[in-house]
Amino acid sequence: MLEIQELTKRYQRKAAIDQVSFSLRNGEIFGLLGPNGAGKTTLIRIINRIVEQDSGTIRFNGDLLQQKHLAHIGYLPEERGLYKQMTVEAHAHFLGALRGMSKSEINISLDYWLKKFNCADWRKKRIQELSKGMAQKVQFIYAILHEPDLLILDEPFSGFDPVNIELIKSELQEMKAKGKTILISTHNMRSVEEICDRVVLIHQSKKVLEGRVSEIQEQQKTGEYAVKFRGNMIAFVNALWTGFELIDKEILGDDRFIARVKMRGDNSFEDLLKVLIGQVKIEAAWEVLPSMNEVFISTVTGESDEK
Amino acid sequence: MRNSWIIAMRELRERLGSRSFLLMAILGPLVVLTFTYLIFQFGGKEQQKWHVLIVDPANVMDHKIMSKEDPNITYSFATNYVEIEQFADEKRFAPFDAMVEVNEKVLSNKSCFLFYREKPSFTMSVNIRYQVERRLEEVLARQFTDLSVVNFRKIKQPLSFVFRNVYDPQDVKGDLAGWIGLFFGAVIFVFIFLFGMTILRSVSREKTNRVVEILLATVKPRSLMLGKILGIGISAFLQVFLWVLIIGLGLYFMRETIFVDIYDASNQVDGQASDYNQFVELVFDRVQFGVMLFYFSLFFACGYLFYGAFFAALGAISGSESDGQQFLIPLILILCFALYAGYFALENPDSLWTSFLMYFPFTAPVVAMVKLSVGFAPGDEYQLFVSLFLLLASSIGVIAIAARLFKNGLLQFGHTLRFRNIILWLKIK
Repeated sequence: MLEIQELTKRYQRKAAIDQVSFSLRNGEIFGLLGPNGAGKTTLIRIINRIVEQDSGTIRFNGDLLQQKHLAHIGYLPEERGLYKQMTVEAHAHFLGALRGMSKSEINISLDYWLKKFNCADWRKKRIQELSKGMAQKVQFIYAILHEPDLLILDEPFSGFDPVNIELIKSELQEMKAKGKTILISTHNMRSVEEICDRVVLIHQSKKVLEGRVSEIQEQQKTGEYAVKFRGNMIAFVNALWTGFELIDKEILGDDRFIARVKMRGDNSFEDLLKVLIGQVKIEAAWEVLPSMNEVFISTVTGESDEK
Repeated sequence: MRNSWIIAMRELRERLGSRSFLLMAILGPLVVLTFTYLIFQFGGKEQQKWHVLIVDPANVMDHKIMSKEDPNITYSFATNYVEIEQFADEKRFAPFDAMVEVNEKVLSNKSCFLFYREKPSFTMSVNIRYQVERRLEEVLARQFTDLSVVNFRKIKQPLSFVFRNVYDPQDVKGDLAGWIGLFFGAVIFVFIFLFGMTILRSVSREKTNRVVEILLATVKPRSLMLGKILGIGISAFLQVFLWVLIIGLGLYFMRETIFVDIYDASNQVDGQASDYNQFVELVFDRVQFGVMLFYFSLFFACGYLFYGAFFAALGAISGSESDGQQFLIPLILILCFALYAGYFALENPDSLWTSFLMYFPFTAPVVAMVKLSVGFAPGDEYQLFVSLFLLLASSIGVIAIAARLFKNGLLQFGHTLRFRNIILWLKIK
């Protein structure tokens, strides 16, 4: 759906984006990750043709990205802004018209989304009469009003309460199910784990990581396992003996613990369970995968250390 | 262009919905009409009411002055000598505003003095002199000739020696008409400044509240800038149209009702200098409003495009709304210079500098309006079209440059605007 190839953008001598390539497929939610100043916003602005790249290409459904394609792209920038004097309806008509929608299309779409987001009675309200959260919701509706094939969201969850975050997430999943592609730039790693299929991590203008979320977590796992059990902690430690190493423990109360263990030698997960059975009552055991937050921090700090 | 039009229509709706627009559209012309009425009504007829003591020891004037009374001047006569100090200090002379000293030899030395407490207005002094002189003419005619006063005045009438432009023998376009041109030019610049500021504020506000990022994701910066200039320009035209309509109707109403007697010489107050209705005559008779308004519209449109692009670019490159203010100063100075250029053209309509200033796009709208009202020599009318063409061509060039600044500066936030930024953003494609 969107192919980015060797994209470079420099501001004076400083590279904002340096030879970045990745692609988005139809019907996926794609996470664009990176620390502040990594170049994410520049990249998004280039995709939206707000700024021009110095080199590299962007293809939209196989064609070189052109102005006409913008009608198929929805954009919710990080810094939200609307005309405060306009009514919700008038604003929708203005933005819809800019994206080539007819009046009736705008009315039908606006009706649908306002009802869906439980805000049908806001239609005649001026933007300045809405709370910050309400205005965010309206702006999200404006971004999807024209049912874009590609939706670009920069920090879409900031400013929303948990209820609305869930609402937005479920809406994104629905859009994905309909074959729409969604590019999310966010620092909220929990959301990335929950909804993103694939991610790209940009650091200091360069791409440093790309892949499926589960694959990245798999790649970066450290061989740790967690065991949730009821019993005596000393008995648990004694059972590990020399074949396993206790890394960390968490006391849950009522003689219940979560212990993080690493294998020594050729010992496997099955071996661990074998030595523990009979010593403590195992409630759950699982392989510990790094969270996206940990992946993010380790990648970014690792890259910085190397430099 | 479609997107520019959508943006223009949004701007237009916003302007039309604002109270300041309606206030300016209705109150502005009413203020102009009120001033026009005041000039018509009182411009020449000073409302001062004076009590004048004529000290005439020889009783030359025989306690008479005019057959009809002047409503603003009351004369009293004294046949004894009154010293200046007495007049100045004594209580009995306090009610008099001025003392006219008519000496015994006035008929031979033709010399009179008027001592005033407060300086009279121009019209008041003209009227007193005129009335005293008329009375003395009667005395002169009676004492030294056998002529009737009417015939005496015919002889006394000085030779009228009038300077006229050979290309304008009827003096249709005189200096006064030039002032009307300057007025039209000044109106162009007032509107350019007012609506230029509206463009600047509008762009700055969109930067501040970040709407601009959403807009730029759908339209090109140039389309956005053109849309803004166009929308605000249409509102400016509407504003001007309302001004012209209201002022035009007001002037027509005044002519048909309040000042209907101004054209009738018999209605003039006897014995009063009639210089005051020059302005009335100028407005109602000599200004070719059709031609002036036609060229006013053209120069206004081109001048607005030219300066509007500057204001839009300034709004786009400013880090904050207040940031742009300091860079406004040179722009305001240029606008002031343009007004001065108009005045220069009025004083020196045929100088080479005036021709240059008429072609120079920064000053063209006002200078061309002055030149148009003063008049071109036969065969020189083409200069107006050259001026218009150069202004339009410059506008297109300025828009292209401003669009680059607009594009490169629009997404820069929170910086302090420096001259080197402008140079840098001009270089970036």
